[in-house]
Amino acid sequence: MEKNINILLVDDEADFLETTTKRMKRRGYSVKTATNCADAFQEIATGWPEVVVLDVMLPDKDGILCLKEIKQAWPTTVVILLTGHASMQAGLKSVEYGAHDYCLKPVELDQLIEKIEIAHRESRVKS
Amino acid sequence: MIKDIFHKFSEWFRFDLQRDSSVPGISFAQCYKGFRALLTANNNALELMAEMEQTLTAGRPFGMAFVRGNCTALSVNVYKMILSLQEISNGKYMSLSDSFKQITDELETILLHKPVSPTGAFILPMDQIDRQSIDLVGEKMANLGEIRNKVGLKTPEGFVITSTASEHYMIASNLQDEINRRLKTMDDDNLEELYKTSSSIQQLIINATLPEELEIQIMLQYRKLQETAGHDLLVSMRSSALGEDSGNVSFAGQYRTQLNVGEDFLIQTYKEIVAGKYRSQAIVYRLQRGFRHQDVIMCVGCLVMVDAVMSGVTYSRSPTNRRSEWIEINAVAGLASQVVAGNVSTDYFRISREAPYHILLKKTNVLGTINAAADSAGLTLSDSQANELAEIAIRLEQHFGEPQDIEWSIDRNGAIIILQSRPLGLTTAPTIGDPAVALKENTYLLTGGVTASNGIASGPVAIVRSNVDMLHFPKGAILVVVHPFPEWATLLNRAVAVVSETGQVATHLATVAREFGVPAVFGMAGATKRLTNGETITVDATACRIYAGRRQDILDHAAEPLPNLMIDSPIYKLLKKAMALITPLNLTDPASLYFNPAACKTLHDLTRFCHEKAVVEMFSFGSRYGFDEKSAKQLIGEMPFQWWVIDLDDGFSPDFNKKEKYIPISSIVSLPMLAIWEGMTAIPWEGPPPVSLSGFGSIIFQSTRNRNIDPAVRSTLTAKNYFLVSKNFCNVNVRLGYHFSLVEAHMSEFLTENYVSFQFRGGAADEWRKLLRVNLIKDILSNFGFRIDQKADGLTARIEKRPAAFLLERLKVIGYLLMHTRQIDMVMGDQGMVEHYREKIMNDLRGIAPGKEE
Repeated sequence: MEKNINILLVDDEADFLETTTKRMKRRGYSVKTATNCADAFQEIATGWPEVVVLDVMLPDKDGILCLKEIKQAWPTTVVILLTGHASMQAGLKSVEYGAHDYCLKPVELDQLIEKIEIAHRESRVKS
Repeated sequence: MIKDIFHKFSEWFRFDLQRDSSVPGISFAQCYKGFRALLTANNNALELMAEMEQTLTAGRPFGMAFVRGNCTALSVNVYKMILSLQEISNGKYMSLSDSFKQITDELETILLHKPVSPTGAFILPMDQIDRQSIDLVGEKMANLGEIRNKVGLKTPEGFVITSTASEHYMIASNLQDEINRRLKTMDDDNLEELYKTSSSIQQLIINATLPEELEIQIMLQYRKLQETAGHDLLVSMRSSALGEDSGNVSFAGQYRTQLNVGEDFLIQTYKEIVAGKYRSQAIVYRLQRGFRHQDVIMCVGCLVMVDAVMSGVTYSRSPTNRRSEWIEINAVAGLASQVVAGNVSTDYFRISREAPYHILLKKTNVLGTINAAADSAGLTLSDSQANELAEIAIRLEQHFGEPQDIEWSIDRNGAIIILQSRPLGLTTAPTIGDPAVALKENTYLLTGGVTASNGIASGPVAIVRSNVDMLHFPKGAILVVVHPFPEWATLLNRAVAVVSETGQVATHLATVAREFGVPAVFGMAGATKRLTNGETITVDATACRIYAGRRQDILDHAAEPLPNLMIDSPIYKLLKKAMALITPLNLTDPASLYFNPAACKTLHDLTRFCHEKAVVEMFSFGSRYGFDEKSAKQLIGEMPFQWWVIDLDDGFSPDFNKKEKYIPISSIVSLPMLAIWEGMTAIPWEGPPPVSLSGFGSIIFQSTRNRNIDPAVRSTLTAKNYFLVSKNFCNVNVRLGYHFSLVEAHMSEFLTENYVSFQFRGGAADEWRKLLRVNLIKDILSNFGFRIDQKADGLTARIEKRPAAFLLERLKVIGYLLMHTRQIDMVMGDQGMVEHYREKIMNDLRGIAPGKEE
């Protein structure tokens, strides 16, 4: 299993960021965090993140809109949406805007990591 | 993982894509990537559908978060399948999006459907309330108004703060989104988290400011009441939730009631009762019974306190015996709440149900574990009062049309005042006197008390004395307590039985235990001292006995479990309605004219369509670009029939010369294909079994009637038996004689991508024989952990998200079945033959996949 994926977690819940970062790092992933869409943009602009895990509810912007703008600016960035608030409309929009996956909180870390690994693997298939 | 795709691609199709600019569309690498994404989404979708269906039939509790979450995840995956198919087919099947939109729009309408918010006054006085006011005042208060204004019995004076008021309060505080978020992210299996979430939500509500106009109206109404009841007026404030006390659902003790509230605490208490909607036991209860949190709206009754000398509960029939022909009365000195809170002893009357209501049985100070208040010692219910109560019980039962559970008080003037009446939850008759049970009666550990809820259960003892003990309460344990306090109800979805040292059948905990079908014995003295934590016992609540250890002989007498508790709940109906757009499969035959996007009426149809077409697209991908048929290699091996293999990616050994027409099995490196092949070849096929004359006749008859089983009529895809393979993937269509099978499997280091699926259809013999065989295959595959969906003589079996090693064993089983069951329906004339084959097959399989049965 590949371990050296650069992951950016975007969420405004400090608890979630802290525990998930700790647990992912323990498994050998490189993790950075952002608490809003603007910060996430800055981070993605550096080219560091390979996979972005994005919460749907952000303080500065609707996560779906944030996803749309990320994919417009950097179409190859892999984005996985995470939400505590299931909504079919948001889910379908996220697929339309190019999210690789859409998952519901609470999500088990093993499951999230699988989704990250798969999305990352698929993103490396060049056309 | 994907190595040198381009190289392979050009080898497979024998031309250079990059030079052929006239060909539009995507590369093979993209196509194969899209195909894999489609398979994974299909895997997720089918698993989600199965989980939803199981939840619906098993009666497991679920909430709105489950329904919405699963519907969302499901539609996201189906949508991904559609987009992937459109991608790999180069824009074909665009009309799938229309069918999808139509289905998901309908689904969304169902999910968003919320009971219409009631509109009306913030306050309704008791003299204006009856059953018609239910949407404004909740069931409890609507019933009480009905008793006062329609039946003509005495009830306390007062008013109700309506659902309009509490909705107004919740909207003004703007808290609902935050509350929903906290509930959705909560792991409801974790008790500590449940308590934390529950108390944080209640604090949110209590800390919010009550809208001024509402506060003014409440105080105004209270002062009006003071004019008749005096300045030192105290009220009882009772929750009356909308949806509460309806049908078989009691919500007993889940919400708050506050007695003796004066002017100063009126507003604070109101807020606390509204917040009480989110008490932990109420959250668990709603989850168990299928109520959406948003469907429950709190109304609050403010009733003048009755200066009670006696209080009690009357059942118009025995709550533990639906065949009983008597009325039961439990009475205590003082307030009725003591009876239902479960901590005082009671007087007990049993009275005939016909006028003039004979007293059949009378016991005073029934349990004697705790003395009633000292100043009322010796006070008991008179026979004439008992008679009057019996008459009231029958009147109420007749008015409401079903047995009732009635709370009442008698004031200083001797007047009977009704505090509440609701349908009585009845359970099945006890099995006292069962000879087999009686035989064992001298071997028990403890006996005594009363049956609070019928039934027998076994498990480890967990003594609970405090909230801290509750946190560590293990699932499947027996709850042992001193007093049956309503708070313990939170544990009833984890406990298999309840034993309490005090209490009787009228307590809230007993009511909820009966509803949940959890056996309970109350009033069993010394239980917490005689039993130790962790010790396994068997509780026969019906016979009021406890046995040491797990006693199967006793358990065998347990009554059938209660029917699905969710079935009448709003959320069950909602999910059921949603499922009609999800699981039915209308598209079964790919050869049919109706196998098209417009005919997709459910999400299942869409997954079926997308999957079928994706396989076809992969198969014919090359032909769109000038695919050379020779790239299909014929397999060399000692097998009947001819087999071809197409490599999608990395399914052939690197040493294999791609120019060869034939391929030996030793050059195949596709793990799932090798497993299937191993199963196919493990035990030589014995040739067609001897066909009885009638079996053969049935084949000829079917052949003339059914074109589908004529081997001459074949679609291109099934003209030969093809394996489509990569290292971790295999799809094989098998048409052997009259039988059609499809096996597909994917292995990966990621469980999300793993599955084995097997479809089986057809057979030349008559329907009865085909059915026998399908049933046989179903039984065998069930043993190996497959989830089976059977439609007439067709069968689909699936396992997903298990480790590769586990799935490879299953593929061997399927490989075996492909070869060995295909013609046995011809000889399966009777059950004896079925058993013969079942034995042979299971025997063979033990050799092929030893010890892998589940």
